[in-house]
Amino acid sequence: MQTKIVSKNFEIPHAETLAVALQNGRYASLEKLFTFTPQELIDIIKASGLRGKGGGGAPAGAKWQLVSDFEGKKYLVVNADESEPGTFKDRQILAKDPHLLIEGMICTCYAIGSNTSYVYVRGEYEEFSNILQVAIDEAYEKNLLGIDAKYPVEITIHRGAGAYICGEKSALLESLEGNRGHPRLKPKSPEPEFYFGEPTLVNNVETIASVPFIVENGAEAYTACGTDCSPGTLLFAISGHVEKPGVYEAQFGVGMWDYIQELGGGVKGGKKLKAVIPGGASTPILPAHLVYEARLDYESLKTIGSALGTGGMIVLDEDASMVKALKNLLRFYHHESCGQCTPCREGTSWVDKTLDKFIAKTATHEDLEILKSVSKSMNGKTICVFAPAASGVIEGFLKHFESEFLECIQ
Amino acid sequence: MKIIVDNTPIECKEGELLINVLLNNGVEIPHFCYHQDLGADGNCRMCMVEIKGQKRPQVACDTFVCENLEVFTKTKSINEVKRSILELELLNHPVDCPICDQAGECKLQDYYMDFGLYNSHLTTPKTKKGKAIDLGSNVMLDQERCVLCTRCVRFTTNITKTNELGIIGRGDSSRVAVAPNRPLNNPYAMNVVELCPVGALTSKDFRFAQRVWFLDSVKSVCHGCSRGCNIHIDYNETKYSDEKVYRFRSRRNKQINQSFLCDYGRLSYRELNEKFNSTSWGMESFKELLRAEKKVALVSPSFSLQQLQAVKEFCKNYNIELFSLPYADESFGDDWLKTNDTSANFTGVKELNISTCQDKFNSFLESSELVVNFDHNLLKVKELENKKVISFTTSKIEIKCEAVFAIANFAHESGTIINCDGIRQDFYATKYRCEAPRLIELLEELQ
Repeated sequence: MQTKIVSKNFEIPHAETLAVALQNGRYASLEKLFTFTPQELIDIIKASGLRGKGGGGAPAGAKWQLVSDFEGKKYLVVNADESEPGTFKDRQILAKDPHLLIEGMICTCYAIGSNTSYVYVRGEYEEFSNILQVAIDEAYEKNLLGIDAKYPVEITIHRGAGAYICGEKSALLESLEGNRGHPRLKPKSPEPEFYFGEPTLVNNVETIASVPFIVENGAEAYTACGTDCSPGTLLFAISGHVEKPGVYEAQFGVGMWDYIQELGGGVKGGKKLKAVIPGGASTPILPAHLVYEARLDYESLKTIGSALGTGGMIVLDEDASMVKALKNLLRFYHHESCGQCTPCREGTSWVDKTLDKFIAKTATHEDLEILKSVSKSMNGKTICVFAPAASGVIEGFLKHFESEFLECIQ
Repeated sequence: MKIIVDNTPIECKEGELLINVLLNNGVEIPHFCYHQDLGADGNCRMCMVEIKGQKRPQVACDTFVCENLEVFTKTKSINEVKRSILELELLNHPVDCPICDQAGECKLQDYYMDFGLYNSHLTTPKTKKGKAIDLGSNVMLDQERCVLCTRCVRFTTNITKTNELGIIGRGDSSRVAVAPNRPLNNPYAMNVVELCPVGALTSKDFRFAQRVWFLDSVKSVCHGCSRGCNIHIDYNETKYSDEKVYRFRSRRNKQINQSFLCDYGRLSYRELNEKFNSTSWGMESFKELLRAEKKVALVSPSFSLQQLQAVKEFCKNYNIELFSLPYADESFGDDWLKTNDTSANFTGVKELNISTCQDKFNSFLESSELVVNFDHNLLKVKELENKKVISFTTSKIEIKCEAVFAIANFAHESGTIINCDGIRQDFYATKYRCEAPRLIELLEELQ
């Protein structure tokens, strides 16, 4: 069931060192890379249907084109601020195959015409950041990076300071510029992000890590995997009440339940499945009966009222308390709201505090109404999608498990 | 180009910010973070409008107008959206209006009355934050009343570029603060009080002094320097106290001071409340004095054009040499509002061809027996030997004079002044009559 494109070298010992990486095919795509013009490369990425793997799933090629169309100085920023609860895929790449990321960054920089790039690494990922730094140093030494390289690319690691919202691309750039990590107002028409006023491409680690395979094997090899609309593979992560939690790469479109059974080893202790949060904390929860029919791709999860997100599944067994599960998530949203827009700043704290009453079993019907009305107030009125995500989470829990909340009412 | 707002066409320019168009055309649109002179930030989410063809409500401060844009600001659904956001703005607010200085001019109060009017749903404890924090420069902060619109932060970041204020904390513990031992300290600091749409930032100078609904207001122009910043004079008179000016507030003038004032000018209202005595003089003895052979007069460059004209005629009638000297202070000005000329109408003095030659004045002064001082600061402190002095003044005189005529200050006598850039501006008198007579009327009497 596993299809290893990005995770090909994960099992190989010491694949993070340049010597081992070179033996295992890293930087092989660079030979082919320079036979293409940058525009040809973008066209290949477009043809491959590669989608952003940080959660949004927007077509990568179109985003590249937007940046590439600008003249002058351009930047590539790799988003390694992986902080979504239940998501731990990017760290695998950073830790086990950092040269794949560097290779992908060289390809991407060449395509968009950039020579300067940054990797924004989550603050807590000190260990992985260090591994990546060693790999970058090795690459500089071998002239794979730097001004003496065939195509000069500079890579600088920037470590975040521990804010979830800095994974949102415009907040990330604000943080990178040295400001508070607050999301920016969204442009009305498609345009790239801007770092110090220069056009900038912001892509997730895994997206960039998928590029070398496409460069080497062509778009068809990539579209051969996955579904029509979601081609390729994703590093799905699985955690919670399963026998074998971990990161396993699979093609888009595989059955969620099959994945849990085969790769996750089934629900822990042979218990019954209650629900799955399909793609990191910010996606609406799916009860068991929907999990059985769910397929792991963007479109099919959307049709059943959830989203693929980052592909980090959190499995909950029959004994899990949905009230406590929601409390856990809302505490996270309360803690991580950046505080910029009112609905999010006040809303996330209100619902979190209200849920305390459900945990203490002192809630009233009015409190349930508050949960519903506040989640409605938070949706669609803020600068970024943090509050709407929190709102979707609450709605998902109440839609499928309202009875458990009613039990907590005095 | 036209847009349609609530079924009424409004003329505007392509690409203008929707909220600006609405505000300029008197359409009520609730907002906290947007300010016409600070620009948009988009954090309060209060200026939601419905736009035809858009699924979701949009914020007017991040919408640019285009041909035939159809906007609805008062539909039932948009009022519901605004109400829900207002509820969140007010959620952790202490609702201490009875002891809050902003009460009466607070946007939270206004909007609550406009489309709030709900009962609180809060069933959990409110978030606690800091109270009565002295930020420096006469500014007090109450973090619990704050709606985090960041107007004050953007003012110190983008306008004064002194960066004293910032937001610390995250989510619902976000709050405005200064860094330890780095108080708010710039010559424009008190603007943040006025920028604050709620009671979070209050002025130490005005705190607990007067309820704003007891204040009358009159359009005036600051006389602190030659910039001529537009102000409102807020004043009142009660049954038991004389008229008192409580504060100056800026009055928006895009050309001159936008919505800002310097702290010096803002606090210069205090001079208007000063009390001092004048000597009473019979007309005959006054005329006797004026019979002196050689006479010189010095007129304040802060007098209005009308006052200057009256003084000029008076001097001509009595054959008095008239001069005016500027109030120059090289240390006062800066590259923004404050100018080195601390008089209000020196441009007007020049326009009326009143002599401003220092040397000529000095030689006339030497040979004169009588000096008539029309409120010029120089002759209020400088003792003149062997000369008789008649003073018309708006403030206390330190030197010995033959006669002192108290006259009404600029809060009590309307007029026109010309600022350093040649902009002619009218200012108006408060509605109460001052004890001291107005100069123009007094001079007519003395003719």
